[in-house]
Amino acid sequence: MTGGKEDILRGTLDLLVLKTLETLGPLHGYGIARRIEQVSEQLLHLNQGTLYPALLRLEQRGWISSKWGTSDNNRRARYYSLTKSGKKQLAREAESWERMVGVIARLLQGEAIIG
Amino acid sequence: MTWIRVIVARCRGLLLRKGVEANLNEELDGHIEMLVEDNLRRGMAPDDARYAALRNFGGTEQMKEEYREQRGLPMLETLAEDVRYGFRQLRRNAGFTLVAILTLALGIGANTAIFSAVYAVLLKPLPFSNAGQLVRVFEANDRAGIGGTACSYLEFREWQRQNHVFSAMAAVAAHELNLTGRGEPMVVRVGDVTSEFFSVLGVKPLLGRAFLAADDQPGAAPVVVLSYDLWRSRFAADPSLVGSSIDLDKKSFTVVGVMPARFQFSFFDEGPGRQLWIPIVQDPLFGPPAMQPLQHLYTALARLKPGISEAQAEAEMQTVGNRLWPEFRPGDKGWVIRTASVRVAVTGEDASAPLFVLLAAVGLVLLIACANVANLLLARATSRAREFAVKAALGASRGRILRQLLTESAVLGLLGATLGIALAYWGVRGLSGLLPRSFPRADSIQVEGWVLVFALVLSLGASLLFGLAPALFAADPRLHSTLQESSGRPGEGKDRRRVRNLLVVTEVALAMALLIGAGLFIRSFASLMSVNPGFETHHILRAEVSLPRFQYSMPQQWVTFSNEALERIQSEPDLRDTAEVLPMPIADQSVNLPFSIVNGPPLPPGRTITADYATISPNYFQVVGIPLLRGRYFSRQDVISSPRVVIVSAELARLYFPHRDPIGQQLVFGFLSDPSGRREIVGVVGDTRAVALSRPPGPALYVPFSQAPLWGVGLVTKTSSSASAAAQEIAAKVHEVDPDLPVTDVQWMTEVVDTSLGQARLRTWLLGLFGVMALILAAAGIFGVISYSVSRRTHEFGIRMALGAGANEILRLVLKEALGLALAGVVIGIAVALGLARPVSSLLFGVRATDPVTLIVLPLVLTGAALLAAYLPARRATRVDPLAALRTE
Repeated sequence: MTGGKEDILRGTLDLLVLKTLETLGPLHGYGIARRIEQVSEQLLHLNQGTLYPALLRLEQRGWISSKWGTSDNNRRARYYSLTKSGKKQLAREAESWERMVGVIARLLQGEAIIG
Repeated sequence: MTWIRVIVARCRGLLLRKGVEANLNEELDGHIEMLVEDNLRRGMAPDDARYAALRNFGGTEQMKEEYREQRGLPMLETLAEDVRYGFRQLRRNAGFTLVAILTLALGIGANTAIFSAVYAVLLKPLPFSNAGQLVRVFEANDRAGIGGTACSYLEFREWQRQNHVFSAMAAVAAHELNLTGRGEPMVVRVGDVTSEFFSVLGVKPLLGRAFLAADDQPGAAPVVVLSYDLWRSRFAADPSLVGSSIDLDKKSFTVVGVMPARFQFSFFDEGPGRQLWIPIVQDPLFGPPAMQPLQHLYTALARLKPGISEAQAEAEMQTVGNRLWPEFRPGDKGWVIRTASVRVAVTGEDASAPLFVLLAAVGLVLLIACANVANLLLARATSRAREFAVKAALGASRGRILRQLLTESAVLGLLGATLGIALAYWGVRGLSGLLPRSFPRADSIQVEGWVLVFALVLSLGASLLFGLAPALFAADPRLHSTLQESSGRPGEGKDRRRVRNLLVVTEVALAMALLIGAGLFIRSFASLMSVNPGFETHHILRAEVSLPRFQYSMPQQWVTFSNEALERIQSEPDLRDTAEVLPMPIADQSVNLPFSIVNGPPLPPGRTITADYATISPNYFQVVGIPLLRGRYFSRQDVISSPRVVIVSAELARLYFPHRDPIGQQLVFGFLSDPSGRREIVGVVGDTRAVALSRPPGPALYVPFSQAPLWGVGLVTKTSSSASAAAQEIAAKVHEVDPDLPVTDVQWMTEVVDTSLGQARLRTWLLGLFGVMALILAAAGIFGVISYSVSRRTHEFGIRMALGAGANEILRLVLKEALGLALAGVVIGIAVALGLARPVSSLLFGVRATDPVTLIVLPLVLTGAALLAAYLPARRATRVDPLAALRTE
């Protein structure tokens, strides 16, 4: 992709969805997609359609649940919310993400010093 | 545990597919609408807004596909799709499908039927708890050539007391008694047992109690335990029977228990509905010898203690035996104690070999059937080549096409199995009707549980076998070139033709091997049928009179009764030629006795010589036509008070008196009522096959009934009246002597012989049937391959005919191809058959495994059948219109 947009890293979409639901509470698919794009300040490119298989996967694992409701503009929409085990999973994933970031950061710094 | 939740969710997704799909569409539409609205708010033109929304969303269909795969169980869904597709394909080719299914059904059905017999006889768990721990304990003496023999009662009690390897032991014996009172007198099978019998087998009575240790004491009150079937058929399942008494041989026994329906212990073949058990010591026949240390009449059963192996048990029993033999086997050396699984004791050693021959035969039939179907599939794969090429072009991987084709094969296989199981069910019901009653566990042969599993596994295995090669060819990526071919006839590679030919040659070879095997057994049976038994069987009627043991307890009573009865019967003009013999030839279990020769050459130590034994009335040899070779027959003067005499068979004379005249020599032997004593040989008679037709005549001893009576009366009559008339006359005469005695087993000797051949006949019929099936399948295989080849060579034949070839030349061309395939198969088949012949040769009678007649006739038959099968398509080839053939190109 051109224009400085990055594709979402494989495996990080789950984390982004869970975090979004934790911050904003129950939300429909479009809401989640918009939020992710807003927070990333348009730096992340998201094919919004790819969100749905991810939502299904998370729901199958019991980390989120869904029910049908009505959106702001009176449209029927499916709302997703974080479950208890989803909260725990978010904590686990966030922690492992931070560890990973730390490792990569140290690695890059080290390289910088040597370089 | 997340994965469980995932699987549950996926299964739900699979089941609720429709609703979920609608929901997904609604959700996605809503999403896109929201995107569009946002874009509109930002001031885009409506068209642009929608276009941007769709772009932002990405490929909808792609996403849905991913979503669906995530949602359900894609493997399963593909499978279901392939199965549906397979069915559609099979329906579209009804002819092919019908032939393939019938072929497979025959193969699978025959295998299932035979396997159900193998399972029931050899594999099915015996109906006893922990049957694996049950063993038979017996003595053997290899030096004396005694493979296994019974023990004496007192010896058994010592084994029981001194061993530490068995948790329990019981002794058993069996015979028959007359049950009287409450209806017609009937003969019942009596299991003589020690009180531990039921607990060793681990079966509790349905009603009342089993035997107690007190019942084993001499002088205890007589008690009896009934089988469920006898209780039902004779006593109308009357629960109050327990505690009342029944009469066995006119002695009263108190019924203490009834065993459950499934309980059956067929050590000794017993008819259903007439089994009961009494303690050994209370039996009129086996009770008295129980107190004598040298009467080896009882079979020992034992249950191994947990963790004790048979080898450990044998080792311990050997030391016990070493202590006991001086008392129970005085003077003999070389005894050992062995154990054998109860199954072998129940089914007999010789039940398994014929069954395995049959199983091998049906296995071959199935292989031939598979080769046939594989060939059909190959031909079809060729005509479907375009379909696969299109699929491959549309992105189906090789594995995907392979999977789909194998699914199709499996569908075919399972359809064949369904029909096959139905055939087997029907066949087994027919089969158990044909089985001789002596066949072990015949009543438990049925298509059930594990047999069905066997059939299903077999059909899936067969599907893989016949489906794999055609599927591999069909999924061949090189086939893409097919698409580029202009003609409607995709080419068939050399490889494929080679495989087809290989398959048909294999098929013919297997059929040849099976046919030769079947042929050998048929020849063997024919020679068994025509063997001379050494005595008359035509117009000879046999009958038995059952004597109550308590009334007729003294041997002298047996002599008096039989002399009187015989005399009265002989007074009837058409029963003048009536004689007595026990045991009865063929019909009865033979008696084999050890004997020694006075002043004979010394035998190597530990070796005994034996002969078959029969006790007869003086006129027996004349009645059944056994010729006198030397000396004299018995006469009425050979009675208990006169010198003891014996007549020997020619075989005995040949073996033991090769250079001497046996007449006047003396033998020493004895049996039950006739204690050991010297007997002088007064005659030599012709050899007979009185033990079994398949057994070559062995040495035989005949003694006068008056000098060595056996309990019971066995009558043979040479008569021209009908069996029923003679039976009535005999019964009337017997009843003049004692009105209470039943006359049983009235049968022509030819029928007796026939019955004794029942198993061999059934085996021969089945093998013949399988041979014919193989022949037909192989011919069908040749027909298929040649038809196909002819249809592919139409063009070539057209050219040949255009160039002047006559119909005969074309015919010869096609038949030559068929002959080549058939001959290759026949030659390989003969080689295979010769290789397999050695293991079955022990089952053959009067014919060698290299029987030239079989080895010449059957290959000719098979080759003839192959040529006949090829003739039809060959004829078609000659009718090719050269112009039409050339134009189609």
